[in-house]
Amino acid sequence: MNRYFLYLVFLNMLINVIIFVPKILIEHRYNGSVMGVLIAIPIGIGMNYLYSHSLNKFPGQGLPEILADSKHRWLVNLHLGSIQILWFSAGLITLLGFIDILSRFVNPEMPKLFLITIYLAAIFLIIQLPTKRVMYFLEIVLFLNTPLIGFIIYKTLTSEFLSWDSILEVGTHLFEKPSLKAMAAATYTFSGFTNLIIFNRVIKEKLKIWNFIIILFLGVFNLFTTFFIPIGFHGSDGAQEYLYPWISTSDSLRLVYSPIERVLYIFLMFYMSISLMSISIHWHVAFELLKGTFKEKENNKKNWMIMAAFMCCAIAGVLFLNTVLLNKITAYWMILLLGVEVMTVSIFFIWARRRTA
Amino acid sequence: MKTLVKWRLIVISLSAVLLLNGCGFKDIDKRLFVVSIGIDKARNSTKKYLVSLKFAIPGGKNKANDFFIVTEKADSMAEAVRAIKTKVDKEIDFSHAKVFVFSEEMVKLTDNAGVYYWLARRRDIQEIAWVAIGTPTAMDVLKVKPKSEQLPSNALFLSLGKDGSETPYIISEFYFDMKKRLIERGLDPFLPIIEAKKDLLEVNTVGLFNKSKLILNLSQEETKILNHIMNRENKSALWVKTGNIKFIVNTTKIKTKYKIITLKGKQPFIKVSVKVNGTIEETTAKITNEKLSRYEKAAEKRLKKQIKGVLVKIQKANVDPIGFGLRYRSRHFNNNDWEEWQRIYPHLVFKVDTKVKISDTGLIE
Repeated sequence: MNRYFLYLVFLNMLINVIIFVPKILIEHRYNGSVMGVLIAIPIGIGMNYLYSHSLNKFPGQGLPEILADSKHRWLVNLHLGSIQILWFSAGLITLLGFIDILSRFVNPEMPKLFLITIYLAAIFLIIQLPTKRVMYFLEIVLFLNTPLIGFIIYKTLTSEFLSWDSILEVGTHLFEKPSLKAMAAATYTFSGFTNLIIFNRVIKEKLKIWNFIIILFLGVFNLFTTFFIPIGFHGSDGAQEYLYPWISTSDSLRLVYSPIERVLYIFLMFYMSISLMSISIHWHVAFELLKGTFKEKENNKKNWMIMAAFMCCAIAGVLFLNTVLLNKITAYWMILLLGVEVMTVSIFFIWARRRTA
Repeated sequence: MKTLVKWRLIVISLSAVLLLNGCGFKDIDKRLFVVSIGIDKARNSTKKYLVSLKFAIPGGKNKANDFFIVTEKADSMAEAVRAIKTKVDKEIDFSHAKVFVFSEEMVKLTDNAGVYYWLARRRDIQEIAWVAIGTPTAMDVLKVKPKSEQLPSNALFLSLGKDGSETPYIISEFYFDMKKRLIERGLDPFLPIIEAKKDLLEVNTVGLFNKSKLILNLSQEETKILNHIMNRENKSALWVKTGNIKFIVNTTKIKTKYKIITLKGKQPFIKVSVKVNGTIEETTAKITNEKLSRYEKAAEKRLKKQIKGVLVKIQKANVDPIGFGLRYRSRHFNNNDWEEWQRIYPHLVFKVDTKVKISDTGLIE
């Protein structure tokens, strides 16, 4: 069991609440979400296995190091570039989504630009760190937050207002034609493995089969909670009315004897650090890949330029995208991500086999 | 040296954050906290609603329970709140509004969806607020100041929540659950009815809705039975009369299960089974521990009759607060199960099976 690998996959499972996965799944609940989720599980696990299996042949190396001596420079650049753009946009969507949530629920009077400035400052501090230290950071954040999020999930599952009949009603739409959007959104929960592109640097040992069994159980449980718990709380017909199903669900919980009765604020507090970490991990990968595409030695000026570009994108996103538009874009982006992931995994799998054979 | 330059840059960029202003945070002494919202039907007016907000006045120890109510007539909640803002000096804060009271006249109007949804649309209104019907008016309920109340509206919070009094006559309802019931096919909303007395608030009946409109009011005993069917509260009591003995069972556990059985060619029915555990609390004649089973039978018979009565009454009104329709939908894979259910429900038969277990007769025989 390699805990670093599990952290990376688990982080994506936690963050899907922010990145519109529940919303997309619930939107298609009567036309193909259930089947889509069921299909996504083997696809997700399969990609996890194939990719980490092939990367395992190069212990302690990230993708830029592995491909450094390749003769087809432009192919490498294309490969790294496409992943890099996608992974940067993953972080960007999470960031914009979470900034929107913060400005809605925590401080509506504060301009979004101000909120994003604070976030960007923290993110840029983290993404420049060496990969190993980013990993340690992630471990601390998960260690502090996961038990408490687990507690919130436990409270939802034991609540008397969780209607199992509503959940089963959605379950009876099992045999609908699977929806591509829902399937792509569900595979996002498993796609944390893509972080290995860079984070393979800290994984020195071989990944055993246990890792994937744990991911299977975590993934199934995670998809169940993201998809079905909002439906249990807000009804099979009513859940799709909410813009953020999971945040409204956390607002429907009552902790009578806790310092804050509304679980919403506790939930947001945990997610502040988790989304910060998720964005930093994604952008760290993008940052390192971008550095890897240039052949010459890295220097400080170039790093700052990359970060300035990141910042411009984030600020433009905050200025020009609203939540509904972001939601729509994300649904298509998920499909694109799934396609690119399948392609990257298969190409790399074949390449690694030929290389080592 | 290199790291020093790096850190200096970071410090500079971070301190630039301090230059940004425009943070609109208002201090707590410039806010007025709404503790409960009352919505009535406007009388003698062209406007539709009479909205009243109850504000808590923060004060010292000796005058803690102080409040004032501001009202406004308007056609919508948003207009009313905007108009009330012009009547008070501070910013209105809804984050502590924990009870919404609708008057009986108001919930009998047909198109209230705007008001119901306004509460969900606002980000600062909590979904775990309680909703209730107030009689004679919502305003009267807000005005009541019970003697035991220490903070404004706290009596309402405690009696609707389970942390205060626990009784089977109150079926409290959270706002998010009501909103779910407003739209879920096969599950209808219900609201507890709060009656404003001079110095007291009485909550012991419940009103059943057909989606957004109030249809049926249950009596006190019927409310208790509905509570038993919905498994909301275990601590209850059964009044039983057998021969010329009257006794009361104090229950410790009540569990209801139901199953919808539709066989081809036969009349569809619902099998309701109720399990009750309890002890005898009061009796008019001596009951010995040996003969308890006889009294259990009597209690079972009585409970069965009561439950059947309530179920038939609910069915006659064509409302479904228990969620039989949703249960039917969740057990059938076809897409037209809801239309099927609408045909089945009016001529459904209830088969009630009760099981009462009286463990002893209390501390004495």
